[in-house]
Amino acid sequence: MMFYLKLAWRNILRNKRRTIIASIAIGVGLASMIVTDGIMIGMKNNLVDSATSTLLGEAQIHRKDFRFTQDVEKTIIKKEPLIKALKKDNSVEKFSERVLSLGMITSPSTAESVIVYGIDPESDKFLSKIDDVIKEGTYFEEGSGREVVIGSRLADVLEVSLGDRIVITVAQAFGGDLSQEMFLVGGIYNFNVKEMDNGMVFIRKEKAQKMLNVGSEIHEIAVKFRGLRMSENKKLPFWNKFGSEENEAVSWTIIMPELKNMLDMTDISLIIMGGILFFVVIFGIINSLFMSLYERMFEFGILKAVGTRPGGLRKLIIFEAGWLAVISNIIGIILGLIISLLLVKYGIDYSGIEIAGAYMDKIFPVMNFIQYIKYPVFVLIFTIIVGFYPAFVAGRMKVADALRKSM
Amino acid sequence: MGQKTIISTKNLVKTYKDNGVEAKAVRGIDLEISSGEFTAVVGPSGSGKTTFLNLISGLDTPTEGTVHINNRLISEMKGKELSDFRRDNIGFVFQSYNLIPVLTVEENIEYIMLLQGVSKSERHDRVLQILDEVGLKGMESRRPTQLSGGQQQRVAIARAMVSNPALILADEPTANLDSEMGSDLLEMMKKLNESSGMTFLFSTHDEMIMGRAKRLITLKDGLVKSDETR
Repeated sequence: MMFYLKLAWRNILRNKRRTIIASIAIGVGLASMIVTDGIMIGMKNNLVDSATSTLLGEAQIHRKDFRFTQDVEKTIIKKEPLIKALKKDNSVEKFSERVLSLGMITSPSTAESVIVYGIDPESDKFLSKIDDVIKEGTYFEEGSGREVVIGSRLADVLEVSLGDRIVITVAQAFGGDLSQEMFLVGGIYNFNVKEMDNGMVFIRKEKAQKMLNVGSEIHEIAVKFRGLRMSENKKLPFWNKFGSEENEAVSWTIIMPELKNMLDMTDISLIIMGGILFFVVIFGIINSLFMSLYERMFEFGILKAVGTRPGGLRKLIIFEAGWLAVISNIIGIILGLIISLLLVKYGIDYSGIEIAGAYMDKIFPVMNFIQYIKYPVFVLIFTIIVGFYPAFVAGRMKVADALRKSM
Repeated sequence: MGQKTIISTKNLVKTYKDNGVEAKAVRGIDLEISSGEFTAVVGPSGSGKTTFLNLISGLDTPTEGTVHINNRLISEMKGKELSDFRRDNIGFVFQSYNLIPVLTVEENIEYIMLLQGVSKSERHDRVLQILDEVGLKGMESRRPTQLSGGQQQRVAIARAMVSNPALILADEPTANLDSEMGSDLLEMMKKLNESSGMTFLFSTHDEMIMGRAKRLITLKDGLVKSDETR
């Protein structure tokens, strides 16, 4: 065994140029897999983060049907014990109560239909990024209860600026009477996303509850878990605990199914791309091994003539394939590491691009140890499997044919 | 001579098919070679020398007829059995370039013993001993490319003989050597033949080998034309 390993290693180094070219080709394939995997994870995280941390949260609790009807009368049932339970739940890191309604915003110039969010500014800071993207003014610092935070595009449409007065009109619960309140523009945010900068306004929760005549009831609780992956865990007790006959507890994967499907598709794309890359790599290996095999037919003839069993020759070729994989893996890992580190440092700018309702930002590949183990092991296994074909040919080779050029 | 027969062929025939055309390389050879002989098989190109050697060594399979080596029917052997038989009973010396270039002289010579499962220390001792016998003492660490053609052939002979096979088959062993090297090599093989009692069978065009062979078998068109013992 050791002898064949040694002989295989020396054979691999015999034609250094060919070995290096073949190893670089395989190594580039491996590096592509490692880097692509990192980018895909980065993109996925970016999209999920964008979708969940901008406003949505990783999960939401509503009264059943509220998501589809936006009926302001459908407030969360048994809110108080639910809030208590949320505070005690180990999987929940933060949560924020919200009141939601469709409404009309009017300035001296014009009127626009919007979604009115009544939020608790303090707790919502952890569930949304509005406070991070305030372009002008402040994020509910005034404290009068009359401030409204609006998007930059909406401000342009309404032709208002900080301190200007606007009127919000909503239809009240239980009767549908119209309720109007005057607000002062306290902050202008800019997500750089048309739908968000144009179609939403944020006021204090208490004010919204009063306007909508829902008392202290709420329509939505946005939840942030202790780990993002929890939101994708269908077996998490959270879902049954907070979902009941009256209320529903749903993950972002259900609220934004198109994004979830798109991310699942990227996983499949990665597998397909990986398959194609490995296919290319496999032919590179077969080509290299066969070139090496045919070049040394006479030598194999001698080895067989002097008593090497067919299995011995097969072993030798498979070990050569294994060594080729080891060299290729070293090249691929180094190359993958360099490219990944560069991308982690500089990122890939996808700012403003929308995919399935989520907006991408600069993507930074996610490097993890498993990428540098999993794919090299794949390459090693595939290379050895591929090596069986030339090994089989070598084992079946007729000695007299191999030696013909001499004897 | 009273010595036992080491090679016995009966009605040995080998037919090749190339693009549907049949060519008979060996047309029915009946031969017996005794243990310890120093025999040369000669003949013009295409006479069937190489095919004959391939058949008696089990490197090729006959179309008809049988080959016995040491009373074992090797023309019916296959796979592992044939590999092991060759390893233990036949030593090969080819024209040239017959050493594994990535192995040292010692590794080339010990390879067969390695296949036989001989211990490392015994292998080393026997390599040193045989290198001494072929006049290459102290060259065990060299690579074949660091040796002259004559030295390479000596290593090949050492490799062929190191496991004490009953038969050494040599295909044109002096073909790529100058006359002086060829003569030295031949002299060495003759001495080894006499001292070890191993059977040497050559395929050759070399008149020097023909002159020193104890038995000269001449092939023509795949048949034995003459068989002369001196």
